[in-house]
Amino acid sequence: MSLIEGLRLALESLWVNKMRSSLTILGVVIGIAAVITVVAVGQGGQAVLMAELQKIGTNIFAIYVNWQEGEPLGKHDFTFQDIAVIKELVPEITYLAPTYYIPAVARGPKDKKPAQVIGTEADYAQVANVKVVRGRFLSQGTGTTRAVAVLDQALAGEIFGRLDPVGKRVTINNRPAQVIGLTKEESGFLGIQTSKRIYVPLNFAQDISGQRLIQQLEGMAANQEKISAAMAKAVKVLERRHNAKDRYKAISLEEQMKIAGKITGIITLIIGAVAGISLLVGGIGVMNIMLVSVTERTREIGIRLALGARRKDVLKQFLIEAVVLCLAGGLLGVVIGAGGSMLVARLAKWPPLISFGTVLIAFAFSVAIGIFFGLYPAGRAAKMNPIEALRQE
Amino acid sequence: MITVKQLTKVYQSGKISFPALKEVSVAIEKGEFVAVMGPSGSGKSTFLNVLGCLDRPTSGSYFLENSEVSLLNEDELARVRNQKIGFVFQTFNLLPRLNILRNVELPMIYAGAPAKERRQRAQEVLNQVGLLEWAGHRPPEISGGERQRVAIARALVNQPAVILADEPTGNLDSHASTEVMTIFKKLHRQGTTIVLVTHEQEIAAYARRILFFRDGQLIKEEITSVPPEVNNQ
Ligand SMILES: Nc1ncnc2c1ncn2[C@@H]1O[C@H](COP(=O)(O)OP(=O)(O)OP(=O)(O)O)[C@@H](O)[C@H]1O
Ligand SMILES: [Mg+2]
Repeated sequence: MSLIEGLRLALESLWVNKMRSSLTILGVVIGIAAVITVVAVGQGGQAVLMAELQKIGTNIFAIYVNWQEGEPLGKHDFTFQDIAVIKELVPEITYLAPTYYIPAVARGPKDKKPAQVIGTEADYAQVANVKVVRGRFLSQGTGTTRAVAVLDQALAGEIFGRLDPVGKRVTINNRPAQVIGLTKEESGFLGIQTSKRIYVPLNFAQDISGQRLIQQLEGMAANQEKISAAMAKAVKVLERRHNAKDRYKAISLEEQMKIAGKITGIITLIIGAVAGISLLVGGIGVMNIMLVSVTERTREIGIRLALGARRKDVLKQFLIEAVVLCLAGGLLGVVIGAGGSMLVARLAKWPPLISFGTVLIAFAFSVAIGIFFGLYPAGRAAKMNPIEALRQE
Repeated sequence: MITVKQLTKVYQSGKISFPALKEVSVAIEKGEFVAVMGPSGSGKSTFLNVLGCLDRPTSGSYFLENSEVSLLNEDELARVRNQKIGFVFQTFNLLPRLNILRNVELPMIYAGAPAKERRQRAQEVLNQVGLLEWAGHRPPEISGGERQRVAIARALVNQPAVILADEPTGNLDSHASTEVMTIFKKLHRQGTTIVLVTHEQEIAAYARRILFFRDGQLIKEEITSVPPEVNNQ
């Protein structure tokens, strides 16, 4: 009996029980759809992460104090002097800015909103690719505590309304400051909406928080090739100046992104595994129905054997039925999964990635499940005694 | 063509063993029409199942067209059933979901015949039993007598060496029985070898020879006198 003939026999039998067949594949449909969605969304996220990295730049890095337990806080804190010396001694570094991040509330004449205050200086505009659309950005060398602020355009709109904010007063955690510029609206990282930003001179940020602290140094190397040297040299300078070993760590944005990528990859894997379990349950459902079907069709099996079907013909017929069921489930699952991942992608604002490979693997998996869970029922069918089978009602 | 010697079949269920056939020896020639009679439980069906290679004898030998069937493996037995045996059952045993043409084609599918040839041959045998116009219908749509004629067509489709019929008229009224038996008679005239189990004297009368079974033994053989009404047709 040829494969085509076997396929035809299987389709005939499945078509007879349309309702049952479609209910049987439901489990496989859901399983495949879930796996496809998870993988597609996960891969889409990875792709966005990498694209984002390209946009921000592969030559950005940060240096932070590697505080050790037991040491007094602030012992190895950065100073403005550090920045000046590093810039002097490390030619690979083109921009270097101190940063101090404070969550705050900004109040304008119209409204108040939560905002992310970043205390820094002029170089930060280059490092973080900040685009000024009106007025100006912070100036360099901020020994002063001048109370000025550069606002995200969208935030300015929210708290100032139709008024032009430049030159006006904004209150940050109850401290007044003069608006000197507006920056282009931030789209947020990976499409996740973060608090809108306010840039202020570092000293003013320290005044707001009441702590004399530089949290991080954020810098830009001349290019991607020079970033390792830039980070190593900067760390060395700091160690010498503060006479401290292993107290400063530098990490490039690329490394940070890779860690984030690894984490999202692991999350994708875990959710994918959970989705895979539903696929397994679907497979067990197929086996269950196939067993019922074999029992119900005992007489049919007897007839086929009497007419000259070999045991392997019967085995083949039921195995093909199981595989066809699972493949149909897989096909529908891929379609639904594709729809699902597009929906999720639209909500998360990143492109879904359904690769040809994913689809192929989904199909291969459906076939494997069909064979794995079809083998036992088909074997039962093939082992029947023809006389007893024919006697069955 | 069929030679069985000392054929014995013992059914074993648990500790109890039951001899359904006891040392049956008989020879059936090519082209013969043989009826098998006997009380219920006498081993008629068992005998036919062994002849049809659906069951293996416990001991004894069975030659079908000069080959010793008991030496064949499972796949080879399936092939014998497919190529040399045509079964007709009391309960027709058609597949209700397939149309009649497809039912008749079934043995040819397992023979590996190409689709076009299958179709042609199936139509030919359906025409032979007078049911070609029902080819596209399904078994539940036709009468019992017609279903049995379809079953006969199916038994014929691979041009088997012998037709084995186990009470083929057992579920039919007398009119349908006559129709079915007329076909068997015609097939016999054309040279087909037929072994037919029946309880009814009138049905057995269509055969040329009757084998009588009792308690698993072949107790008597009888050559039938040719009934005048059969002869006249
Ligand atoms: N699988 C089996 N296991 C045990 N005993 C069996 C089995 N099959 C048949 N028998 C017994 O063998 C004997 C012969 O059965 P068989 O079916 O050949 O009789 P039969 O002559 O065809 O009867 P009937 O006219 O009722 O069809 C019966 O007593 C039956 O109970
Ligand atoms: Mg019987």
